[in-house]
Amino acid sequence: MSQPRIPAAEPSWGKRADLDVLNRDIPRIDGPDKVTGRAVYTHDVRIPGMLYAALLRHPVPRALVESIDVSAAEALPGVVHVLQVKEAGDELRYSGDDSVLAVVSAETPEAARDGVRAIVVKAENLEPVVDTERAKEADAPLVNYRRRADSNVAGSRARGDEEKVKGAIDASAKSVEVSVEIPTQHHVCLETHGHVIHPKGEGERSVVYASTQMVSQHGGQLVRPLGLENGQGDKVHVLTPHMGGGFGSKFGAGVEGMLCARIARETGRPVHLMLSRADEFAMGGNRSGSKQTLKLAGDADGKFTAIHVVAERHGGQGGGAFAGAPYQYEVPEVYLDAKSVKTAADSNRAMRAPGHPQASFGMETAVDMLAYETGVDPLTIRKRNLAAKMQRRQLDRVAAEIGWDEHPNKLAPGVPENGIGVGIGFGVCRWTPGGRRARCNVTVRPDGSVVSATATQDLGTGARTYVAAIVAEELGLEVGQVTARIGDSDLPPNVASGGSVTTGSSAPAIKDAAHNAREALEALLEDVLGAEVGDYVWKAGRVHAVGDPERSLAWKEVCALLRQPLEVSGQFQQSLYEGRILGAQAAKVEVDTMTGRVKVLKMVAIQDQGLPLNRMALRSQINGGMIQALSYGLLEQRVFDKEDGFLLSDNLQLYKIAGAQEMPEMVSIIDDSEERDSVCGMAEAPIIPGQSAIANAIYNACGVRMTRMPFTPDNVLTAIHGSV
Amino acid sequence: MADPNQSAPEGRDPHSGGPALSRRSFLKGAGGVAAAGGALSAQAQAQSAEAATAVQTMRGTVEVTLQINGQARTLRCEPRTTLLSALRDRLEPALTGAKQVCDIGSCGACTVIIDGKPAYSCLTLAVQCRGKEVTTVEGLGSPEAMSDVQEAFCAKDGMMCGFCTPGFVVATHAALDRNPEADLEELKYELSGNICRCGTYPHVFDAARAAQAARHDGGEGK
Repeated sequence: MSQPRIPAAEPSWGKRADLDVLNRDIPRIDGPDKVTGRAVYTHDVRIPGMLYAALLRHPVPRALVESIDVSAAEALPGVVHVLQVKEAGDELRYSGDDSVLAVVSAETPEAARDGVRAIVVKAENLEPVVDTERAKEADAPLVNYRRRADSNVAGSRARGDEEKVKGAIDASAKSVEVSVEIPTQHHVCLETHGHVIHPKGEGERSVVYASTQMVSQHGGQLVRPLGLENGQGDKVHVLTPHMGGGFGSKFGAGVEGMLCARIARETGRPVHLMLSRADEFAMGGNRSGSKQTLKLAGDADGKFTAIHVVAERHGGQGGGAFAGAPYQYEVPEVYLDAKSVKTAADSNRAMRAPGHPQASFGMETAVDMLAYETGVDPLTIRKRNLAAKMQRRQLDRVAAEIGWDEHPNKLAPGVPENGIGVGIGFGVCRWTPGGRRARCNVTVRPDGSVVSATATQDLGTGARTYVAAIVAEELGLEVGQVTARIGDSDLPPNVASGGSVTTGSSAPAIKDAAHNAREALEALLEDVLGAEVGDYVWKAGRVHAVGDPERSLAWKEVCALLRQPLEVSGQFQQSLYEGRILGAQAAKVEVDTMTGRVKVLKMVAIQDQGLPLNRMALRSQINGGMIQALSYGLLEQRVFDKEDGFLLSDNLQLYKIAGAQEMPEMVSIIDDSEERDSVCGMAEAPIIPGQSAIANAIYNACGVRMTRMPFTPDNVLTAIHGSV
Repeated sequence: MADPNQSAPEGRDPHSGGPALSRRSFLKGAGGVAAAGGALSAQAQAQSAEAATAVQTMRGTVEVTLQINGQARTLRCEPRTTLLSALRDRLEPALTGAKQVCDIGSCGACTVIIDGKPAYSCLTLAVQCRGKEVTTVEGLGSPEAMSDVQEAFCAKDGMMCGFCTPGFVVATHAALDRNPEADLEELKYELSGNICRCGTYPHVFDAARAAQAARHDGGEGK
C-alpha cells in the first residue's frame, strides 16, 4: 500500500452550513443500551466467584479506638474476609474516609452487611468539631492536621489596599453590605463511588472496573495495593464502560478503591466494593460551604466603584473553593480577604465549577441590592458593569424570554397579594474550559467498518456520541456507521474529565484522526478518481472529486481499495479548540409569604460555546446546570449534628434533591450569535448562576432578601419574621 | 455466577429449603456499633438486650420461582432478600437494569412493574412476588426492539448518565398505562417517585409526551 501523503491541509471544523452531522440533534449512540438496561455500569458488573464488600464506618468524626473485635463477623455464614483497617489505639481524626474501621467481604451483599453489624467497636468519642463557628474558637480542638498548623483557620490571604477601598466605598454615592451563608452541597452521583476488581495471576493483568472520571490515569494508584511495583501500571486494565455521574467527585481510586484492590489481592477473588448511599454522603465528596460579607459601592448611575469582601471557605479537611471577588463584574477598587476554616468533616472535592456558584451567590446578591438601593433596575445595573458586549446582549435575551419587559416590579420589589408574590431575578456566568493533550485512533477496515477510539469516559455528557459523530462528519457517513470505543485504559490516552476539558481536548484529537484517515483514503483515490488529496467531497456515504460529482465511489467501494485496515492517529490541535464562554440566566418565582414556600415558575439560560457538536446533548447539559442550581438553591444542605457529630443528612430523604414536581418551565438557548469555528466544553458554566437568580427573584417578588441557602420554607419564614 | 450458598461455611445447610430459626438477633450487631456512639450506647444496648430475647431471626435460603418478563425464573434467596437484590445479585444471568441507588424507596431507580403496577423493588421482598408478574426494564424492550417509551427517551435525549433512566422508563410506561390522557402536571406527579441528578427532567417529560402523542396517533403502544 502506498504511503499516505503528508497532510495537504490542516484539519478544520469547516463552515457550519456545510455540516451534515455535527451542530444538529444527534440521538445518543448509547441511548438504546441505557433505556433498556443493557448498559453495564461498574455497579452492574457480575463475575463468577465475586465477593460483595461493605464498609464499617465509625459514626462520628473524632474518636480514640479502644478495641475492634471482628471475630463474630468472621464466624458468620457467608462472610469470607474481614479486613480490619484501624487498630486499638488509633485516633480517628475526621469524618469520611478516616472513619473506615473495617471492610467485610462476603458471598452476598446481605451477608457482608451482617458482618459489618457483627463487628464490636469500643471507642472514646471526642468533640466532633463539625461546626465552623466552633472550629474558629481559641479553645477548639485542633483539626487542622497540616504540619506546624496552630489554628483551624488556614490559607488566609488578603488582596488589595483595604484603607483605599474603604475610602472609596465611603466616597461613593451608594453602597450596600450583606452577609451570606452557603451550606455544603453533595454531588449525589446516582452511581456511588466504587470498583469491581478482578485480580489475576502471574502474567495476566488485573481488571479494574471503576466508576471514574479518569480512566487513562486511574490504574496507577491501584498498583501498590494490588501487590505490583510502581511503574507496573500497564498490568492494571481499567474499564469504565458507563458511569452513573461524577460531577467532579470521581477523580482517583479513593480509599475505597485501595481497599478493594487489597481485598482482591488477599482473597484472590473478584471484589465488588461500591459505597452504600450513606457511605457516599459521608465520604463521596462535597462542594464546600461558604460565608461571605460583601460591601459593594457604586456611583449614582449604578456604576460600581469599590468592593470589600471577607470570605470563608468551609471545606472540612479540604481548603474549600471560592472563585474570588469581584466575581465576573468590573469593579475598579477591590479588597478581598479569603480564608479557609477547617473542621473534622471530610474534604471538599471538585464539583462542577468549583467555587463559582458560591462566589456568584455573594456577588449577585450584592449587585442586586445595590440596584434597588440606587434606583437602577437589576437588569440595567448588570449590563452597566459587565465588560463583554456579548454578555450584555445575553442578558437582554433572557430578560425578553422571561417576560421582564411586562413585569411590574422593576425598581422596587412587589407587594404580595393574598401572601403570594411573583418576581424575576438574574445572574451571569462564564467559564474557561481547557483543552489539553489527548489522542485518538481511527481505524477503517476493508469491509467499510470504522472505529474511533480514545480513552475518555462519558459521564453522561454525550462524549461517546461525538467520538463517533466527528468521524462520521469527516467521512460523509452516518453516526451509526462509526463505532465509538471509550472507557478503556488500553485506548489512546485522554484527559481526566474536570473543568469542562473533555470536549476541548478530545474533539480536536478525534477531528485530527478523522482528518488523517480521510487524507490517507484520498491518497488511494488519486488513481481512481484523479484528484489530489484535499480535492474530494465526502457526503451521504459517497466520495467524488471536487467539481466532478458524476464520477463517485460509495463508501464500501473506497474501503475495498484497502488491502489491510487503515489505522491512523490524531492528537489535540490548538487550532481546533477555543476556551472562554459566557452565559446569562433568569428565573421567575412565586413566593408564598404565609408558608415560606418558593416555587420556581420558569428558568431561562442562554449559553455560548464553540461549535456545538450535538445540540440536543448541549440543551440537556444546559438544563442540567439550571436544575442542579435550582436544587442547590431550594433544597440542598448537608447537616451534621453539632453536639455529637453524626451526619444527619446521609440519605436521599434527608438530603433532598430536586424532583419532577420542582421542575419549572425551562428554556435552554444555545447562543449561536458568534459563529466560532472551534470546539470547547461548557458544562460548568450553566450551573453557576441559577441559585443567585432565584434568590434575586424572591426579593423581587416580595422584598425578602434571602442571604442563607437553601431557600426552604423555614429559611424563607426566618428571613421574613426573624428567628423564633 | 456461582450459587453464593455453595461456599457457605460448615455447620449450615444452605439448601435447607425452609427458613431456619436462630436465636441470633441482628440487633445484637447494631448494638456493637452503637456502643461506639458514646451517649447513645447505654440506651441502645438496653434496647438490644431486650430485643435479643424478644426477636427471633429467620435464616437460611428458600427457593423462589418468579415470573420475570414472562419467564419463570427460579432462584434461591433468603426471605429478607429484596426483589432488587434477587434480580441483580441472585439471578443468573443477572438483570441489572433496575439500579440500586438509595435502597430506601426514595429515588425510584429500582422501579419495576408488579402485576401492572409500578413498585420499588428495593422495598419489595422477593418472596412476596411469588405468583406475580414482574416486568423489569429489560422486559419492556431491547436495543434491537425498543418499546415506544424507550424509543421516545432516545429521540428526546431523556437521559444523561443513564443511571436513573431504567427507573424513569418503567415509571413512564406505568404512568401512560394508568393515565393515558395525563397532562404535563399529571405526568410530573406520576414521575415524582423518581429522581435524576443530571437534570434530565425536561427531556424526560418531552419523551413521555412524545410517546403519549404517538399512542394517540397510532393506537396502542407496544
